[in-house]
Amino acid sequence: MPEIYSLSSEHEVADFIKNCNSEEVPIEIIGHNSKSIGRLIQCSKSLHLKNLSGIIEYFPEELYIKVKAGTPLALIEIELDKKNQELSFEPPDMGFLYTGQSNKGSVGGAVACNLSGSRRFRAGALRDHILGFRGINGKGEIVKSGGTVVKNVTGYDVSKLITGSYGTLVALTEIVLKVQPKNEESQTLLVSNINLKRALNIFSKSMQTSVEISGACFYPAKMSKFFKLNDLDTTTSITAIRLEGPKISVVERINTLRKLFDEYKKTISVLENYQSRIFWKNTTDLQFFNNSKNIVAKIILPPVNTDQFINKFENEELKYVVDWAGNLIWVEIPENDSVLLRQLRTEVTKLAGHMTIIKAPNHMRIKEDFLTTVDENIKVLSLKIKESFDPKKILNPGKMYSGI
Amino acid sequence: MSTLAMPKIDQSVLNDKDSIVRDLKKFTNSINIISDPEGITPYETDALSAYKQKPMAVVLPENTEEVSDILKYCHKNNIKVVPRGSGTGLSGGALPLADCVLLGLSKFNKILEIDFENRCVVTQPGVTNLSLTKAVEHNGFYYAPDPSSQIACSIGGNIAENSGGVHSLKYGTTTNNVLGVEIVLMDGTIMRFGGKKLESEGYDLLGLITGSEGLLGVLTEVTVKILKKPQSVKALLLGFQSVEDSGQCVSDIISGGIIPAGMEIMDKPLIKATDNYAKAGYPKDVEAILIVELDGTESEVNILIKRVEEIAKKNKSTYLRISKNDEERLRFWLGRKAAFPAIGDMSPDYLCMDGTIPRKKLAEVLKEITKLSQKHGLRVANCFHAGDGNLHPLIMFDSNIKSEMKRAEKFGADILKYCVKVGGVLTGEHGVGIEKRDLMCEMFNDEDIQQQLNIKQAFDEKSLLNPGKVYPILHRCAEGGKMHVHKGDTKFKDIPRF
Repeated sequence: MPEIYSLSSEHEVADFIKNCNSEEVPIEIIGHNSKSIGRLIQCSKSLHLKNLSGIIEYFPEELYIKVKAGTPLALIEIELDKKNQELSFEPPDMGFLYTGQSNKGSVGGAVACNLSGSRRFRAGALRDHILGFRGINGKGEIVKSGGTVVKNVTGYDVSKLITGSYGTLVALTEIVLKVQPKNEESQTLLVSNINLKRALNIFSKSMQTSVEISGACFYPAKMSKFFKLNDLDTTTSITAIRLEGPKISVVERINTLRKLFDEYKKTISVLENYQSRIFWKNTTDLQFFNNSKNIVAKIILPPVNTDQFINKFENEELKYVVDWAGNLIWVEIPENDSVLLRQLRTEVTKLAGHMTIIKAPNHMRIKEDFLTTVDENIKVLSLKIKESFDPKKILNPGKMYSGI
Repeated sequence: MSTLAMPKIDQSVLNDKDSIVRDLKKFTNSINIISDPEGITPYETDALSAYKQKPMAVVLPENTEEVSDILKYCHKNNIKVVPRGSGTGLSGGALPLADCVLLGLSKFNKILEIDFENRCVVTQPGVTNLSLTKAVEHNGFYYAPDPSSQIACSIGGNIAENSGGVHSLKYGTTTNNVLGVEIVLMDGTIMRFGGKKLESEGYDLLGLITGSEGLLGVLTEVTVKILKKPQSVKALLLGFQSVEDSGQCVSDIISGGIIPAGMEIMDKPLIKATDNYAKAGYPKDVEAILIVELDGTESEVNILIKRVEEIAKKNKSTYLRISKNDEERLRFWLGRKAAFPAIGDMSPDYLCMDGTIPRKKLAEVLKEITKLSQKHGLRVANCFHAGDGNLHPLIMFDSNIKSEMKRAEKFGADILKYCVKVGGVLTGEHGVGIEKRDLMCEMFNDEDIQQQLNIKQAFDEKSLLNPGKVYPILHRCAEGGKMHVHKGDTKFKDIPRF
């Protein structure tokens, strides 16, 4: 078991990493330990940032919040909600997937994994909402970039590089996120009992209009059983499209879509505000794979290739849900089926996409790559970037790629 | 011309000029190489025309392989390379060096694929920003970032600078709208970051190179996302008796849960200047005007207009007009878009600054600017992208009076330092380039800058690609920060600047 160091100030983190660097001791960085994404690594020391917590400043009219990296995401959302604001990239609650219970984890963990919810294709990913950060690089130096304003081109955009770097470049200490007003109304147009191809066609057609949809997902039959919503038919496939904004506008746009998809009029229904919000929260939080004991992966494809991909694996033991208007497929495959896992990876690469393993048994997390990257040049460049922050490779070594 | 320390000239490279030019002809058609003094003159500056320097030679490659071969050759032979798009940049990012090969991307001027199904366009980097929208508007789509120079600036340059525009509060800047690039590193390695899919895995290399001002690689292909045009767009023209009231109105609109497509404030000196110049019909008896543009569905826009109207009244607006049609809406913008030429008409020279500040600090910063204006004895007018906090003070001076240029530069630097002091940044959208390079220490300490230089090393270990830009040479902090316009004579005086 690694020695645990639970630190509560930036200064302590800097000193700790400086010492580890001089002794060349690798460190695993942990926020709230709510996720197990990435390769399984063994370090003699583990740096816990749960106590580096608190909101530093929040100015609703300036549309940003500055927090310490270990601050619980849930706490941030409560504070924003008081001012009728939110993080519009909808950070998912991965706790359901890992333990069957809500645990949103820390803001630093969300940034390190660049996790975004169902609104991603409209509102952007977490990486589009980070305005600045402070952190400690592998030499124990304080590194900062960005600020609190949305328009800023002063120096490289290091905030984006840090986002999704799985703690391999810096231990985050402070984060500035853009916040947005909450939508007054959310409604969901449902089409039941159609296949994926038709669903994707509906997504595409909707995106060709000016109705501004902010959610578009597809549940095959059997995948939606977990929903407990009165107005949702879970006996067939579900194709769902979300509209948000002022109520009058949402109603108007729903009607526009109803007309556009007149051919499905017998199977179209609408989820009103309350149920609509629950539907998308459940979807964003991956509740369809609640407490999964299997391998769960996130597949990103150009949306026109999504149907072809799923067809290829029609006869396999593969469960899936499509989100982000066809750009994202969540898949679950049996725990020990590394053959199928490799087939998925090969196919996804062929179709210009990539696959990230989100959950896997520990023995697989040691031997399997959890990212797809095959381009050798990207690996070489990534290693150089890693070394520019962390020359002795002590921060989460091997978490992202073996050797990085 | 102002003087500025640039990287030491490599005399051995200059001595080899003839053989280098000969060698370059192996990599591309010889008509694509320009080395005669007359031919290279158009490349001696970008839109920051106070700085001029002829390059050793200009190369205009035609495809990715040629770019790769040229960079590989320059890398091997330690020759500096300065990349250039359309040359409309305002911070001197494409200023050549005496011993450099200037790599122009003007022949990369074709749109390669329009993909409505995946809602993206694949294009060569030399294509102008506006041509992207022109190419997709027949289907009701557009490319969102709209820097003021969009009729002339290239999409590759937009990525290099992370260009914004007046709608970035709602639609983001370039970085939020680019999906993928093909990039050639200084050693000739050809790579792809991102693509038609929504995101990539591993380090966000696409995010890193966006806004890197041509220091990390040369773009040879770009994929951007396109959006469907909103159903309805309307604007309000509001007048206030104090800048504070207009600023408070902006804060209240945002705290009220409204994110307008664009919000612009102009102060009295600028209202007067633009009204004389463009006859935009702005109210004359106000201290500040605020333009608020809203988009969405017809009914949504109508509701929002009403809400903004109420907020404006609560903030003591003394003038209010709502656009009845597109023509009137564009007239609201007319004066604002004529701001730069209008100032050019009032003063032989002006410097345009580009700080970003927290919105709530607007009144405080404008007060400080007025104080500084008296201190330096120079007039100033201000326009403000209020939605995203981007402030463009226009400092008026006469370069024929020697001391005035110096005073204007000092004035500009003082403004930017104050922007940083109140929690803002040096540059919102024009880039650091050479212009604000020596002010970087106002925002970053040595460790921050060293970390960024280390990132540069990962891409370009010999520091041959666009050296001398963005980061201070020897970390020296001096005065800087300006776009100098003499007698309205910008490099691209006919394109709008706002």
